[in-house]
Amino acid sequence: MNAPFSSPAAGQFGRRQRRERGPRIPVTIVTGFLGAGKTTLLRRFLTTQEGHGTAVIVNEFGAVGIDDKLLRSSADETVLLGNGCLCCNTRSDLQNALRRLVAERERGQVPDFHRIVIETSGLADPSPILQTFATDRALGSEFHVEVVATVVDAMNGLAALEQLAEARKQAILADRLIVTKTDLADASMTAALTAKLRELNPHASIEVAIDGVLDPRLLVESNAASQNQHQGFVAEAAHSDGISSFVMGDTAPVAWNVFARAMETLIALRGTDLLRVKGLLNVEGCRGPIVVQFVQHLAHPPVELENWPHNERASRVVFITRHIGEQSVRDLFAAVQGLASEPLR
Amino acid sequence: MATANNPLGPNSAEATSWNFKLLAQHDLGGFGGMGEGMSVQIAKDGRRIIWLAHESAPKNFTGVDVSDPRKPKVVVQTDLPQAFMRSNSLELTGDIMAVAYQTQKVGQKPAGFELFDVSVPEKPKSISFTDCSGANSRGVHQLWFCDGEYVHMASGAADFKPTHPLDDQFYRCFDVRNPSKPVEAGRWWMPGTREGDSAKPPARHALDKGYRAHNTNVYPQRPDRMYLAYIDGGMYVMDISDKSKPKPISHWTNSPPYSGFMHTVMPLFDRNLMIVTDESTENAAKDWPKLIWILDAREEKHLVPIATCPMPPVDAFSGRGGRFGAHNIHENVPLPTAWNSDEIVLGTFFNGGLRAYDISNPYQPKEVAAFVPPAPKGTPANSVQLNDVFVDERKIVYTVDRHTGGLYILEMDF
Repeated sequence: MNAPFSSPAAGQFGRRQRRERGPRIPVTIVTGFLGAGKTTLLRRFLTTQEGHGTAVIVNEFGAVGIDDKLLRSSADETVLLGNGCLCCNTRSDLQNALRRLVAERERGQVPDFHRIVIETSGLADPSPILQTFATDRALGSEFHVEVVATVVDAMNGLAALEQLAEARKQAILADRLIVTKTDLADASMTAALTAKLRELNPHASIEVAIDGVLDPRLLVESNAASQNQHQGFVAEAAHSDGISSFVMGDTAPVAWNVFARAMETLIALRGTDLLRVKGLLNVEGCRGPIVVQFVQHLAHPPVELENWPHNERASRVVFITRHIGEQSVRDLFAAVQGLASEPLR
Repeated sequence: MATANNPLGPNSAEATSWNFKLLAQHDLGGFGGMGEGMSVQIAKDGRRIIWLAHESAPKNFTGVDVSDPRKPKVVVQTDLPQAFMRSNSLELTGDIMAVAYQTQKVGQKPAGFELFDVSVPEKPKSISFTDCSGANSRGVHQLWFCDGEYVHMASGAADFKPTHPLDDQFYRCFDVRNPSKPVEAGRWWMPGTREGDSAKPPARHALDKGYRAHNTNVYPQRPDRMYLAYIDGGMYVMDISDKSKPKPISHWTNSPPYSGFMHTVMPLFDRNLMIVTDESTENAAKDWPKLIWILDAREEKHLVPIATCPMPPVDAFSGRGGRFGAHNIHENVPLPTAWNSDEIVLGTFFNGGLRAYDISNPYQPKEVAAFVPPAPKGTPANSVQLNDVFVDERKIVYTVDRHTGGLYILEMDF
């Protein structure tokens, strides 16, 4: 980019960042079914040191209420959707709410904030919200989704997961699963729920929160770096709705050209079924890891980090797909790699 | 819509800290009105001392131990001999510190610059004082001293009579290789600003702040170049390969239509760019916009402005009290105790606080951090007036208030 003005300090993907979000405002998305305990969790979080300076966006005001001066409704400019959900039809409201928060902060019209929490309504599919940050160029350059936390209550969660596709989607797309009301449920119910959650989403850590009490860092810090390392493609879960997840892991560096071409092909052919692809990539010629992220047919701009987490130099990219087998993706990457490696004749 | 009610009062929201972490603030013993001289020394005993010039009398300079940036400690604070003096600018190489002295009116003494031995930080020892006073001189406003050999400065002189009283300070260079006997090595002034020049005096701007030198930056990457901001005269790239005969190579100005007061020129050699700043000098943003400019410097004889760093909305800041607009930037001072970056620019904007910009794409500078502390206690400005910024090689950021706030120490968190 801008070759006459390139900096010797920059990498192939521009200025190396200290962290994945760079200077962008971190966003936590809290999702979960009605009555799961989202608001209780959030209200408690706002009283902690980590919660200080948090702006909250909700699309409905629940019965519990949040005592925070930065509360915003994403639907306030159009209609309050009652029991509606924060997904496709209200995305523009979310975009407006986010933009206004930043503008008002810049003008000193709201107290200083450092973080945004979006509390979705119970039925919301997180995918459209994730897509919003990928599609809206302005939002994507200002905000970064740090954590998707899904709250599941031990009393009713298992039934919801078994009966409702939206509940499963929330669990599958989560970075963190938070089980509530374990004090009210039988141990066997909690164990069954935990097993189900583990089956649906082996990547997310499962945490327990009673009365909203949870280590607040779990709502603000992404733990991508602390996952176990895998080699090759590892199938981890295949479950209902045709959704499966697997990890592409490798210590050998990959040529950016190979990765980009393979992903372009995947997106072109099956973008709709790439629910979320996210991770760190060990790219040939790059000092730090490259953060890659895709939501369906949308790619976030790749970012190079200054350092490898824990000095572990290995690719680890999680794929969550629908009706795309791990073997197909593995074959595609191998084919592109093979073609790229063939000598010119 | 749930309108936010600010529980802390109508102005408390004006304080912002985004991607900067405040580690400490020090009011410097009640003398927290700071100028635009900041330099870091590693003392022989290993302590890290930041030397700070005061904006005005009674104090001259203050040395602060910032070895632990969370616990700054004043180790020395000195007084000026006269209430009409101000030091404003200082720079340190090794254990020798150069301090500028300017007077309120022409003809007052002492005016010039002083060299100190600060090898024992608690006991700065004067090595020499160089007189730059005169019937038409207010002495030295700013100086640059990074190679241990030459002090480059904006100064008046006894033998210099300007064509306009505001044009009294020009570029002067002193050889200080023998620090006890500095010798003038060369000088240059904008043609037409000295009586007797063949060139006509320059036309005055509507907001007439003077055609005179401000910053005089020289970097080891191009020791034959000096980057000279000349207030209402724009900026010059100067050939100083012969220090006795500085010659202009190129000139660029934004004024008119802008309102003058160009302040700093910082080249980014590896990127063929230059960062040029204005200074806001008027309260209530009457001189808005005062900006940080980015120039395409591929051709040093033909500089092309390609962008400015985005500012927060003027109407949100103009009424906060004091000035709002660009001033000093971290200048990549070529010393081992200074951080160097050609991707990030940090600048102070008076009540607009401290702001950092990512200039990876020089056509689209992007703000990545801001720090606007609350109005410091006792300030006459009703707002913070951040005046200068320096970043040490540990990436610790130091910024100062112009009136009472003293020193703020921060971490970059982006």
